[in-house]
Amino acid sequence: MSDRREDDALLIYPEPQRLPESVRSALEGGEEVVALAKTDMRGGDYGEDYVVLTNARLLVVNERLVEALPLDKVKSVSIRGYINTCVLVAEVDGGQRSLAVFTRGRLEVFDRLVAIANNIVIGKVPYQLLKEQLLNRVREEEERRRLSSTRAAILRLLGLLRPIAPVLVATVVVAVAIRVVGLIPPYLMKILVDEVLTKGRADLLLHVILGLLAVNLVNTVLNSLNAYINTRFNVGVTNTLRARVYRKLHELSLTHYDRFGSGGLWSRIVDDVNRVQWFLSVAFVPLFINAAMVAFVGVTLATLNPWLTLVALTPIPVSVTANIIYRKTASRYYHRLWRKWSRIVSVISDTINAAILVKSFGKEEEFTRKFEGYQTEFERAQMDVFKFEQQIWPAVGLAFTVSSLLVWWFGSKDVLQGAMTLGSLMAFTSYMWQFYSPVFGLIENVRNLQLLGVAAGRIFEILDIEPDVREPPDAVHVELTGNVECDNVWFTYDGIHYALKGVTTRIRSGERVGLVGPSGSGKTTLAKLLLHLYDPQVGSVRFDGVDARRIKLSSLKEQVAIVLQNPVLLDTTIAENIAVGKPGATPEEIIAAAKAAKAHDFIMRLPEAYDTEVGMQGSRLSGGERARVALAAALLKDPKILILDEPTAALDALTEDEVTEELERLTRGRTTIIIAHRLSTLRFTDRIIVMENGRIVEEGTHEELLKRDGLYKRLWEAQLKGLMRMGAAEVGGEARGELVAVARAA
Amino acid sequence: MSSLPSLGQLKLLDPSRVRVVDARLDELDVEIDGRLYRGVRPKRPFPFSHPQIVILYSGDEELGILRDYRRLDPKSRELLEQVLRVIYFMPRIRKVLSIRSVEGKYEWRVLTDKGELTFQTWGRCVRVLHDGRLVVRDIYSRAYLVEEPEKLDSRSRLYLSMMI
Repeated sequence: MSDRREDDALLIYPEPQRLPESVRSALEGGEEVVALAKTDMRGGDYGEDYVVLTNARLLVVNERLVEALPLDKVKSVSIRGYINTCVLVAEVDGGQRSLAVFTRGRLEVFDRLVAIANNIVIGKVPYQLLKEQLLNRVREEEERRRLSSTRAAILRLLGLLRPIAPVLVATVVVAVAIRVVGLIPPYLMKILVDEVLTKGRADLLLHVILGLLAVNLVNTVLNSLNAYINTRFNVGVTNTLRARVYRKLHELSLTHYDRFGSGGLWSRIVDDVNRVQWFLSVAFVPLFINAAMVAFVGVTLATLNPWLTLVALTPIPVSVTANIIYRKTASRYYHRLWRKWSRIVSVISDTINAAILVKSFGKEEEFTRKFEGYQTEFERAQMDVFKFEQQIWPAVGLAFTVSSLLVWWFGSKDVLQGAMTLGSLMAFTSYMWQFYSPVFGLIENVRNLQLLGVAAGRIFEILDIEPDVREPPDAVHVELTGNVECDNVWFTYDGIHYALKGVTTRIRSGERVGLVGPSGSGKTTLAKLLLHLYDPQVGSVRFDGVDARRIKLSSLKEQVAIVLQNPVLLDTTIAENIAVGKPGATPEEIIAAAKAAKAHDFIMRLPEAYDTEVGMQGSRLSGGERARVALAAALLKDPKILILDEPTAALDALTEDEVTEELERLTRGRTTIIIAHRLSTLRFTDRIIVMENGRIVEEGTHEELLKRDGLYKRLWEAQLKGLMRMGAAEVGGEARGELVAVARAA
Repeated sequence: MSSLPSLGQLKLLDPSRVRVVDARLDELDVEIDGRLYRGVRPKRPFPFSHPQIVILYSGDEELGILRDYRRLDPKSRELLEQVLRVIYFMPRIRKVLSIRSVEGKYEWRVLTDKGELTFQTWGRCVRVLHDGRLVVRDIYSRAYLVEEPEKLDSRSRLYLSMMI
């Protein structure tokens, strides 16, 4: 039993001959296998079952047919996750049915199978369309796999770097030239010893000295040129790649931002690009240099003395073996050292960051003991690293010393017997040391080429992404009036968990709608779909009757605005942050928008007022201030549709009351969707939509919903009870403010 | 039975009034006080530290807590354990045969109670439980238990010490 192999992948529309016999015999006439996945467990132990999704049934097969569920009886398919295992579950009439068990190692494969099954049973995607899309995906994946091999990634990388190809070639040529020129001095020294000093040919002395001078001059020029070209090359690589990846970032949909995380994207733009540049300069370019050097010096050595050349080669196998052992084993020792160190850091960090906890619980002694214990372990790990290194490198050094002594021994004998000149022996030993370095360099280069392929592959992972939201060439500009319709909208971020399940609603132009529900009920996801940040997998979002997919993205972005719960500001001035929605806005417009958002007063209290720099992500402003700036930006845009995601969440109760009143005025006649946890914010809305678990469960006015004994009433009562309790405890003005707001709403 | 701190209402089940009638992969059919619940899912709130405690769920509804499922009648206990084996399947490492570094990950070859296994882990992969047992997590987040690390052979202990 081992980890995933190639044949364990999800098979999509496999050819009949690739199907196991038991699966083939379980199929009925005309039944087509859409996807087949193999489990790695059966019951409570390792084993194998086949889960087969056909165009008509969901089957579990091992040596025989274990389970067969007609798809028209299956409502949905899902996965239950446990510590190590997962269970494939089908929702059928009468409840859920557990079908097969597998370890988390197979989760990715079954995630995909579930998504495909749900596209059929939930999404009701037309079968031909589903088949076409899946086969396209298979072809794309095959292509991606082909392109992601190390060799392919490096070749593609070179293709990307075509604009700087002349610099790359120049880098290699100059670097090789420097090494070749470096081979000349030992040869001149040979002439000096053999001809000038031994045979007394004084006429050659000046030539040799001038030759050495010329070599040095050429070397100096080449080195300067090399430094210049190298800088050009490194800057060229990073700029070319970073620009490509950065441009791609703007094409990515939010799904990909979620998938990679901000850290992941950051590391690809900064770290991987730097890594590629570094590997190119330490692996790719030196590969040519070292290969050239091995060839030149090898031939020179063999010409000088073939027998001595063989002696000089003897330490290489020892050193290569030691290198391999070191590389395999060292990481374990260093990993241990790093783990021990990180424990020490973590205790120090806990002591500083949780000082109050440590002191109030009297944990000082315990922490000190822990720290000292980790310190001892770290020391031990350090000594182990030292011992390990001492077992390897002295032996390698000894091999080189012995080989060098043997060269001197045999070489000196040859010189004494007249078989070799003294100059040749000196030149030989000098070349010998020049030979070792490129040989080891080549080994390192090959390893680094693999890493270059990995780093390049990570960059291509981004560059190869197809955007989720793609604007068709015939997309149109629509002048919105504010009518929005969601028609059976199903949406999943990961292909497994549906954030929206068949949401259907209609919002009329100018209507103000509140969206409430527990966390994770799908409110924010629905708002993101209204902004066309994503496309629903099933169903459609329509603006004035036109499918969002058919509308120019720029058209929607101009006319729909959102104020996020945790608004993100750009690292620039308050004025520019407000004007972000309307480039070229006049100062008067900016002030008017800020006043409307109740931001003007706090801005004017700042010494630099509207010209205040807000810092990275608005860090110099408080949460409430950021919320008001973001609201001002949205209002300045004067959108046809305004989406407010918890617009008052970061405000204190009294300011919230003020802002809510202002919102009431500002949103009059404008289609507005307000997501809110504090139900008091929704007092002016025309209708409230209540969501739970991805579905709309109730709709109506505040009064209508209170009359029903539903989720809204429960939420309302829970909030009221909480506030009454706060009021009773007389905790201060804030609670009274909230009570005032709720009382007004009620 | 010691009294529980009154942090909230705990629905404790009397093992003598709970009867498991059927089991299937991760689900049970359970009779509690004579009422039959189908598709019940058992969960351990403390899978490592107190595995004897099991909470029974019917959908999202908590049916109650069994403080020690081992007090169920033998047949019920057997069926419940059958399901717990699926849900809390976790190979026990008996010997570490080798750990080698492969492309920034660590490839472990181990001998377990389920046979010989090969899996890969990231650098931070071993968690030391309070009772000294070790939990090794692979790159898919699958856990492998080392029950008595000090009783492993010296080579296995050496390998493990490199990863802790």
